[in-house]
Amino acid sequence: MDGTANSGEERAVLRYVAAARPVQQLISETLTQVAGFALLLMTSRRRAVFAEGALAGAREAATRAAEEVRALAVPEIATHHHHHLHGAAETLLHACVAALESRRIDAAEQTDLLVRALRASSDHLRATACLLPGFELVDFGQACCAAHAPRRLLQEVT
Amino acid sequence: MADYSIWVLEYAAVEKFPFSVMMYGPQHQGTRKLPYAYALLKGKGETILIDTGYDHVAYGEQLATAYGVSNYHGPREVLAECGVKPEDVTSVFITHAHFDHMGAMHLFPNAKFYVQKSELDKWVWALTLGPEYRFLTGGGDPADIVRAVEAAKEGRMICIDGDQQDVLPGIDVHLAADTHTYGSMYVTIRNDGARDGEDKWIFAGDLIYTYDNLTGLDADAPQIVPIGLAVGSQHNLIFSSVEMLKSVGGEVRRVIPVHEDRLRTTFPSRLTDKGLQVVEIALAKGEKSWVG
Repeated sequence: MDGTANSGEERAVLRYVAAARPVQQLISETLTQVAGFALLLMTSRRRAVFAEGALAGAREAATRAAEEVRALAVPEIATHHHHHLHGAAETLLHACVAALESRRIDAAEQTDLLVRALRASSDHLRATACLLPGFELVDFGQACCAAHAPRRLLQEVT
Repeated sequence: MADYSIWVLEYAAVEKFPFSVMMYGPQHQGTRKLPYAYALLKGKGETILIDTGYDHVAYGEQLATAYGVSNYHGPREVLAECGVKPEDVTSVFITHAHFDHMGAMHLFPNAKFYVQKSELDKWVWALTLGPEYRFLTGGGDPADIVRAVEAAKEGRMICIDGDQQDVLPGIDVHLAADTHTYGSMYVTIRNDGARDGEDKWIFAGDLIYTYDNLTGLDADAPQIVPIGLAVGSQHNLIFSSVEMLKSVGGEVRRVIPVHEDRLRTTFPSRLTDKGLQVVEIALAKGEKSWVG
């Protein structure tokens, strides 16, 4: 994808990338929020109470992300990518449900469910970052290695 | 005699890093080498890391191609230069939650991790603000929070709330709130064990990138000049730098910036056959030198 997409297939991929990237970002942000809640829960249940509002918002975001993933037009070449994006969204929903349940039930099995769902979502998300360009998960612009390299913006390839 | 042996171990580097990011203000001042490194401490029955580095599997190729990060080596190879295996590591202090400092927790299966509570809390909060605020969350990897959850489930994640003395014997941590990140912390090793001893070393995380942040560039008119990357304020970076410097009696070389290439000439060091620097800061009784 070098900015000279001509064939119908290439244009379909670029449309998929442009539509899927914001959904992947939403999943990534929501996953971090739910994981952050889980961390609070495991290190201080008292502090976790303060994050319950954010958790409700995260569940809404996860639901929205799952719907948007299902609505994507997926060209054949992006089916593997979409499989992982779908997996990330669905397991994130499971994580949200498990996190909400974990508020009530302080049991090892419930914690296991939550951690497994977070791990699964994270692994699916990592796969989406590896399969197509433009889906990187870390913004290196605020890290020690960056600020000196030109960014390859999505607009450059669409 | 020192309680802890201390080494700084390079694991990758950017050969040409703009000086304007290492130090706020000076533009068009060329580039310097920016090593990526972590610190290894051995003593008192503990094997300790300050920061973990990152995992090349996750984004090594992206870093190499887009940002010029070169010569990455994983902790198994790097720690072996001092006779240590990742499994030997008992404790890790995470100075802040950027990928290159916290991105390899999963490679240390037996370690407990110490991080500031506010570093994680505020990062998660910043993510609720929306994508237009992403500057505030850059450098963080969602997978690292998931790994932190896994470590917490195993009882290996310890969130520290502010300053704390003797987290491990002779090792104190200090919150530098709203500086490079929301909850950056620096680590003091009192290597003679005394509360107000003179043999102190401070690991600054990314509160400074170079000794020049503590001295300025004009030897005749020294000043604190903050780094060029902060989600907090330059004010806070300056005052935390002053705190660190005061704590070691103004002896600049005792405030260690792991991204400083000149550590290799300030302390005994050697270049490994992989082209990485091993810098030896201190040796505990009975410990052999790994740079001799």
